[in-house]
Amino acid sequence: MEKYKYFIATCIMILFSIATSYAQDKEAKITLTFEKADSLYVCKALVTSEGKPVSEVPVNLSVKRLFSNLPIGDAVATDSTGVATFEVPQDIPSRNGKLTIFAKIVDDENYMNTEASGEVNWGTVVVSDNSNIDERSISGGRGAAPIYFIVASLLAIGLVWGTLLYSILQVFKIKRLGTVNKN
Amino acid sequence: MSEEKNITESTKYETFTQEEYMIMKDDLLRPIEKIGKAGKIWIAFLVAVCLAGVVAYYIQETKSKYVTVSLRDYTMWGVYISNFVFFVALSLVGVLMSAVLKLTHFEWYRPLSRIAEVIAVGAIMLAGVSIVAAMGRPDRLYYLVTHGRIQSPIVWDIIVIMTYLATSIILLFIPLIPSLSTCKNHLKNLPKWQLKMYEMLSFGWEGTPEQWKILKKTVKILTVLVIPLGISIHTVTAWLFALTLRSEWDSTNFGAYFVSGAFLLGSAAMIIATFIFRKAYKLEKYLTEMHFDKLGQVMVLMGLIYAYFNINEYLVPAYKMSGLHANHLLNLFTGEEAPFYWSVVFFGIVVPCILPMFKKMRKPLPLTIIALAVFIAGWFKRYLIVIPGLLHPYLPIQDVPASWTHYSPSLIEWTIVAATFAAMMLIVTLFSRYFPIISVWEVAEGKLEGKEEIINYK
Repeated sequence: MEKYKYFIATCIMILFSIATSYAQDKEAKITLTFEKADSLYVCKALVTSEGKPVSEVPVNLSVKRLFSNLPIGDAVATDSTGVATFEVPQDIPSRNGKLTIFAKIVDDENYMNTEASGEVNWGTVVVSDNSNIDERSISGGRGAAPIYFIVASLLAIGLVWGTLLYSILQVFKIKRLGTVNKN
Repeated sequence: MSEEKNITESTKYETFTQEEYMIMKDDLLRPIEKIGKAGKIWIAFLVAVCLAGVVAYYIQETKSKYVTVSLRDYTMWGVYISNFVFFVALSLVGVLMSAVLKLTHFEWYRPLSRIAEVIAVGAIMLAGVSIVAAMGRPDRLYYLVTHGRIQSPIVWDIIVIMTYLATSIILLFIPLIPSLSTCKNHLKNLPKWQLKMYEMLSFGWEGTPEQWKILKKTVKILTVLVIPLGISIHTVTAWLFALTLRSEWDSTNFGAYFVSGAFLLGSAAMIIATFIFRKAYKLEKYLTEMHFDKLGQVMVLMGLIYAYFNINEYLVPAYKMSGLHANHLLNLFTGEEAPFYWSVVFFGIVVPCILPMFKKMRKPLPLTIIALAVFIAGWFKRYLIVIPGLLHPYLPIQDVPASWTHYSPSLIEWTIVAATFAAMMLIVTLFSRYFPIISVWEVAEGKLEGKEEIINYK
């Protein structure tokens, strides 16, 4: 029996993966609804399969950002009515106040991966005060260095390089004096 | 020995003849006249190591840097940057051994000043090379000029390195003019191009009083200038670290700490160089035991100053042991790097502070062995300043590859570092093969105690 242990384990694993892949074949559909309850922003994801609500399916909520989606909390499982309820934070930054919210089912045992998205006006518009962007400062760009800084730097550089130039000129003066002496 | 005594005594009296000058000149020009077999082998060896470095750099630049070097997202500064800091520190030897001693009238500087200045020029050149080797995109170096911001420490560093290099070269060259005239007048059996070079570079030197006056005045101005410049170059190098937000470099002490370390390293380098030149070129009459005695005393003084700054640098944050510093400091004191760190403290700080206090240890051989230990520990000290702290980032990343959390330089990196050392030694060696490594007139002038007679000797 010991001899066939690995063979049997392999067969069971193959059968298990075939079974799960068939099980995952079921399609699910997510419908998103957004509502304001008191002062809270609530997002509800209704999961249905073949027209019937599905319970105990974990749903992940995320919001679209510049490069990828930012998860909003942990996954929430659907209740007996097939609804997963999320509270959406009220301080998510947005350019124009609009947020694109995604609900996803990922790697579920019974249902294929699926997602739904919806746009809602719940973002906090970020107003950047760029009025000082052209001001001269240490953190400014190449053309926006503080005047005192440029003047001090140029003075120091000029003073040192001026002395070096003077020294080189002295060498030529030495040469001239040598030529005069020879003649 | 009796001859040596005679020359030492002559400093006290004004008995210095043309004949004595001729003997001195012959002694100091002898190394230029012929290169021995050992000298040729030494130069060939250095050239071979330099070429190996060029090949390694070619491989580094043509193949993926991820494959050729061990630098990763955590340790983005590796041996190249620690080597850069080391060479900048080494370049301060010119400030200490030439300028400071000259201006404070320590007469024993005379035969040492040119050796110190050549090391300074070589070191600052190789500091620049080390920075370029560390660059991800060296082809974009000119962007520093076209797009650089004057507010950025990296721009200050480039400016100050270029300025210090120019100053060191000029300060090396101007006092060399009378020596070049001596070479032109007294060296005969040399290739034509070499004699032509002496003729050209001696700039019509005739040794007239006016020429001497201009030369001495210019040298004095440059000597004064090079001190603040040398201190700024190493302070700016320290600021490259201290102006970042990393806790291990977050110190208001960093500039002074770097400069004091550079002076200790400079005294060690000077002892080693003096020992080698003394033996190789048989210059025992000029580089005397007295020089080693004085250099040993300098080393103790510099060691004590450096120890003081180290106590400030490490024990003050260690007393508080705040979260940000604890990671790095505990790693050095009791963690993975502890044996390495304490060896560097022992050889790099304790040894130079204590051993040369004993007169017997200030003899040439024992002092050179001590200096070698300080020199090597000095290189590893810069390694410890740059690298271990980088392995503890502010924002640790989850699941980082193992190669990011440890750093051990690749063969390519070691080869390039070895080549920078070889190149520096090659610069010093070749200089001493073509130019008098001890300034004939400065030594002669010292013996005359500033008498005007020197202007008659060419």
